[in-house]
Amino acid sequence: MNGVSESTVFEPVGVATLLRAKGRALVNHGRAVLAESPVKVLATIGFVLLIWAGLYGLFREVFYLFEANHLVGAVAIPLVFGFFFVALLVLLTFSNAILAYSSLFSRDEAAYLLTAPLSPRTVVAVKYLEVLFFSSWSLILLGLPLMLAVARSTGEPRVFCPLFVAFFLSFVPIPGAAGLITAWFTARFLPRNLRKSAVAVLSVGALIAVVWGLRAIHLIEDEGGNWLDTFLFRMDFVQSALLPSSWITKGIDHAMHARLHPAFMYLLLTVANTLFLSWLAVVFTADRLFPALDRASTGRGGAARLPAKASGGALGAVFFYLPRSVKLIAVKDLRTYLRDPLQWSQLAILFGLMGLYLLNMPRFQVEFFSERWALLVPMLNFGAVGFILATFTSRFVFPLVSLEGHQFWLIGLLPMERRDLLWAKFAFAMTVSVVVSVGAMALATIVLKIVFVWAVVHLAITFATCVGLCGLSVGIGARMPMFKQRNTARIASGFGGTVNLIASVALVIVVLAGFGALSWRAYEKQLQTSPDVFTWLGVVGVIVLACSAGMSAMRMGVTHLNRLEA
Amino acid sequence: MADETDAHTDGAVAIDLRQVTRRFGDKVAVNDLSLSIPRGELFAFLGPNGAGKTTTIKMIVGLLRPTAGSVGVCGHCMSVDGLPARAQLAYVPDQPFLYDKLTGLEFLYFVAEMYRVSDADRDRAIAELTARFDMAEFLDHLTETYSHGMKQKVVLAAALLHDPAVLIVDEPMVGLDPRTARQVKNIFVERTRHGGAVFITTHTLEVAEAVADRIGIIHEGRLIALGTLDDLRTRARRQQSLEDIFLQLTEPEHEWGV
Repeated sequence: MNGVSESTVFEPVGVATLLRAKGRALVNHGRAVLAESPVKVLATIGFVLLIWAGLYGLFREVFYLFEANHLVGAVAIPLVFGFFFVALLVLLTFSNAILAYSSLFSRDEAAYLLTAPLSPRTVVAVKYLEVLFFSSWSLILLGLPLMLAVARSTGEPRVFCPLFVAFFLSFVPIPGAAGLITAWFTARFLPRNLRKSAVAVLSVGALIAVVWGLRAIHLIEDEGGNWLDTFLFRMDFVQSALLPSSWITKGIDHAMHARLHPAFMYLLLTVANTLFLSWLAVVFTADRLFPALDRASTGRGGAARLPAKASGGALGAVFFYLPRSVKLIAVKDLRTYLRDPLQWSQLAILFGLMGLYLLNMPRFQVEFFSERWALLVPMLNFGAVGFILATFTSRFVFPLVSLEGHQFWLIGLLPMERRDLLWAKFAFAMTVSVVVSVGAMALATIVLKIVFVWAVVHLAITFATCVGLCGLSVGIGARMPMFKQRNTARIASGFGGTVNLIASVALVIVVLAGFGALSWRAYEKQLQTSPDVFTWLGVVGVIVLACSAGMSAMRMGVTHLNRLEA
Repeated sequence: MADETDAHTDGAVAIDLRQVTRRFGDKVAVNDLSLSIPRGELFAFLGPNGAGKTTTIKMIVGLLRPTAGSVGVCGHCMSVDGLPARAQLAYVPDQPFLYDKLTGLEFLYFVAEMYRVSDADRDRAIAELTARFDMAEFLDHLTETYSHGMKQKVVLAAALLHDPAVLIVDEPMVGLDPRTARQVKNIFVERTRHGGAVFITTHTLEVAEAVADRIGIIHEGRLIALGTLDDLRTRARRQQSLEDIFLQLTEPEHEWGV
């Protein structure tokens, strides 16, 4: 053994040591994923390419539309960019705040590092860089297709593309810095029980901010002859000189037209502010870290909850149709779900957006579009509902069986059949899914004034999709569980989770295709008010297909669970 | 808040708690705790669940600040001069932290770099600790595949890597097999013989009875007993095991009389 250190002069290591370790961990992670589940890598690449292609097509169409009319383009392109970057600013600030909070105040790593001889500024700087790294998805997912779409419109793509990347990279740290300070503020001042609620409040706030911006577009319809003046006046906030988003909007506009001097001026303005704000956020947070950490790890809020008996009674009523032992587990899962705003807020945001879109649909005046559009819109609605539902079941329903892992000995000893455990999970998932998705589709059918008989078809197919998706997630979750893992995100992103996600997306696509084919046939044969026998057979076929997919997975899961040793 | 003018300049004292109080809202988790642990002492800190042990440890390592009073480590006030204090201590929490995607060896290299251990010292220490904790078979695997006991071994090895003056271990024996548990006890004793201080909390009273130089018992945030095992026996006025003394002192009706 060495003599015990007597040195009192210690020069702490800097960020490089921590970054090297994180880089090493990232490389190890990449190797492990490639070795363990190449399907996951392929699926991820496939999905990213699909999203890229979709976004590229969308951006390309928008710019094609603008190019057709130079005057409209001159007004609209800066506005589109303005909106895009304002929305990105708000959403990235929010997601960075969540990432920074979880990274600094609710993980063991930060506590571990802060007991080591490291400067708090080093720890915060590394965490900040980590958060920025994770938020760079926006560049990959959104920025590149946008850049390629715009590059086709500009005469100097070799100049434009590097400048665009530079603008994007210099912009990302600004919401990162705002997110870091927001996370510190949340940890330092919000009582603990309120903190989770704050996530939901912030989510809704971010949502309202985006919707508020988008709603202004609808003013076009209401303002008669002066709509352009009113519209531009209302949109003026997007181009405010104080907003970082406006700097890169203007810079990119100059880059598009190969005006290099003003483009570089805006680039340097963005870089200067990024550097200053990053420094400010790191120093501010690090120098006040301990009081915030102290409060985050130990603060106690006083949020009162319903007594267990009362809440159990209310939630039990939701599952009135279940036998007692199954109901107990379903109530437990629903109670756990409702007490975790991080779970329900995500579904609330997605379906909240869907609801706002549906409520605003009359302004689009779909009936004045071509009949094909009128046919397409319900399909798009169903597609959106289906994909959101697939995301929900893959992220939150799939891990349910795995999460019972530590209590599996208890489940194994309970005086109930193991299949009842799966039916309880299924009942819980169906309850949440049906309420939000059938509710959203019902709203869509009312808003679109779809005839009763087709409204029933829409709702029946949506219900069957719920059965299929919930059955797949619970069944595959039981067939490919990760009992040793407690982290739901890791369970969902494991091999079983990837298989489930692919199966769920495939199911939605198949149902959507079948539903679309039936609707198209009804349109071609003028069967909008009175479907024929073939249509009904087709509808029954789609419903049976969706339900069988779910029930087959459930049977597979039950068989596997019965074979497991407790 | 802590009085930052308090001087903790006596380097011979490894851990120095002066009238430390820590409140969480209305709850007083640690109440006017004064404790001085010299170098070369193995101190066992005992108490029922929720008595204030972990809160005390978190204040010693700098993760929590005292509401009143001050904490010193090796002559440095933790609130004012935390960096040199932290450079001289190592903390092993009850739930060991490791980077899932690093191997055990990569984690040890990382810790050695953080504490500025030279490559030669690092390699020698890792070789010695690998042999003592029997880690050779799994040190090249990602730590996410480790059992609790394996993780505990690597974390203990990482804590010892920089040869800390103060070693603080929360529940050191949880998850360890008997052979490793014996090794850990031996290491604790060796460290105190070489002038280091070891501060452990444990519910395994036999461990405290076997290795501790002094024992402190905390109950409802107050230090209700402090001394050697013989001191505690004298206070209990009869020969009995540490378990009997602990149960007697921490029973709800007991009048502490301190």
